[in-house]
Amino acid sequence: MNSPPEPPSSAERPAVTDAELLTAHINGDPHAFSEIVKRHRDRMWAVALRTLGDPDEAADAVQDAFVSAYRKAGTFRGEAAVTTWLHRIVVNACLDRMRRKSVRPVADDELIEAAERDTPMPDQTGEREVSMEVSAALKLLPTDQRAALVLVDMMGYSVEDAAQVLEVPSGTVKSRCARGRAKLAPILSHLRNRSDLSRVSSAKGAELRDG
Amino acid sequence: MTGDTHYDLEILAELAEGLLDAGTARQVREHLAVCDPCGELLADLAAVREVLAATPTPAMPMGVALRIDKALAAEAGSARGGGVGLAEPPNWDELMRDSPWEQSPRELEPVRLGVVSDDGTIVPAKRKDARRRRWAMPTVAAAAAAAVVGTAVLSTNLLTAGGGGTIASGHQQLHTGTASSPPKVDKRARAYALTDSGHNYSDQELRQPLEGFLGPAPIVGGGSSDIDVVDKCVSRVANRTKLKVFAVDQGQYNGSEAIIVTSWKNKANKTLRVDIVDPFNCKSLRKSTVGRW
Repeated sequence: MNSPPEPPSSAERPAVTDAELLTAHINGDPHAFSEIVKRHRDRMWAVALRTLGDPDEAADAVQDAFVSAYRKAGTFRGEAAVTTWLHRIVVNACLDRMRRKSVRPVADDELIEAAERDTPMPDQTGEREVSMEVSAALKLLPTDQRAALVLVDMMGYSVEDAAQVLEVPSGTVKSRCARGRAKLAPILSHLRNRSDLSRVSSAKGAELRDG
Repeated sequence: MTGDTHYDLEILAELAEGLLDAGTARQVREHLAVCDPCGELLADLAAVREVLAATPTPAMPMGVALRIDKALAAEAGSARGGGVGLAEPPNWDELMRDSPWEQSPRELEPVRLGVVSDDGTIVPAKRKDARRRRWAMPTVAAAAAAAVVGTAVLSTNLLTAGGGGTIASGHQQLHTGTASSPPKVDKRARAYALTDSGHNYSDQELRQPLEGFLGPAPIVGGGSSDIDVVDKCVSRVANRTKLKVFAVDQGQYNGSEAIIVTSWKNKANKTLRVDIVDPFNCKSLRKSTVGRW
């Protein structure tokens, strides 16, 4: 799986592959699975947090996913990378949670209204604004579009990798991404305009900007 | 198609993703060449990708990682029929007792009406969210409760030792003891939750919702000498900000010892002011920022 650059802590990874660790775990090595968890928990957390938009829910989902992976390691057949398999379990745990809460699809005008309502306070830095508004906006997307955008646009996975994780054709991932971006554009465009402004941070810049 | 008919965002997003058939794609491109508003929309779509890609992805909070280790250790134990799991797991139940996620929302009853008992009388329903509320309970209440328990044990011992004491005198002692303790307790009373996670915070983490960081660590009780130091710094911060301090954690900031002080800026919005000071001179280690719970 083409992944974003690895964190430095796993620089020694080539020594033992994920697949070897998983085999060791199936054969009863009591430490193998916790090594797999250590290697991938940050990325799994990021996927769950961005997909669910709520730290408590994300913690539950990641825990369910790792426990479930622990139990069904024996069913892993090596047809995909271990990371793809883990991602799939995490994403499915998130989607299950969202479905159980039966999130109602939201109409476009509601999206914009919600974005205006959730507009953060003016004394926040540009980067924080981005993070908060993105979380709020993502929550308003249908679950399938949200999951696709988290994997492709936020986590930087290729469409093909995301398709493997989500177990749908690549074309489906592309169209979910396209529809999701179309819904987010009206919301995040106002963010885009404002972050352009906030880049003018010096007093002189503000003078130029405000005339 | 040119002139006064425009394309909507969805068509433009599909164009960008290469999903349109060749004929439609050519038409849209020809329109884009002459239509500024549609070009703007296409730029908005590109901005969505950039904004999403630029949003930082946080590392898993320590508390969540510990909790997963615990769940897997339990799993290992049940799979192997006993304690053969991970070596000597600490007492997680105790460590994680106050974590917000230890209280399942499913346990909460949405409506707290009375229930009709077997004999037909109406019994007020008990609050089931006592544990969740505990997180917000002022320390003075906790300390007072502890004082009552302590005194009760003492009284019982006296009672046993005395042999001939009556229950009434036991109660008497209990009340006396409780009444005399509040002045002592008040000195230690804190209106904020104090934790000692030892976590090394980074700027990036402090931009994440802080409940994941400040929530999971066990609450520190009274009595440690550090607490006076923390108290001193907290009151200095409070004097400066004129805000109500909500939660305080002892940890590190970019590798140096630090006290993380969060105060409610707007409780409804869950927004906090985050001040980071060194524990020696209570000087700010960085500019205060706004955080979220």
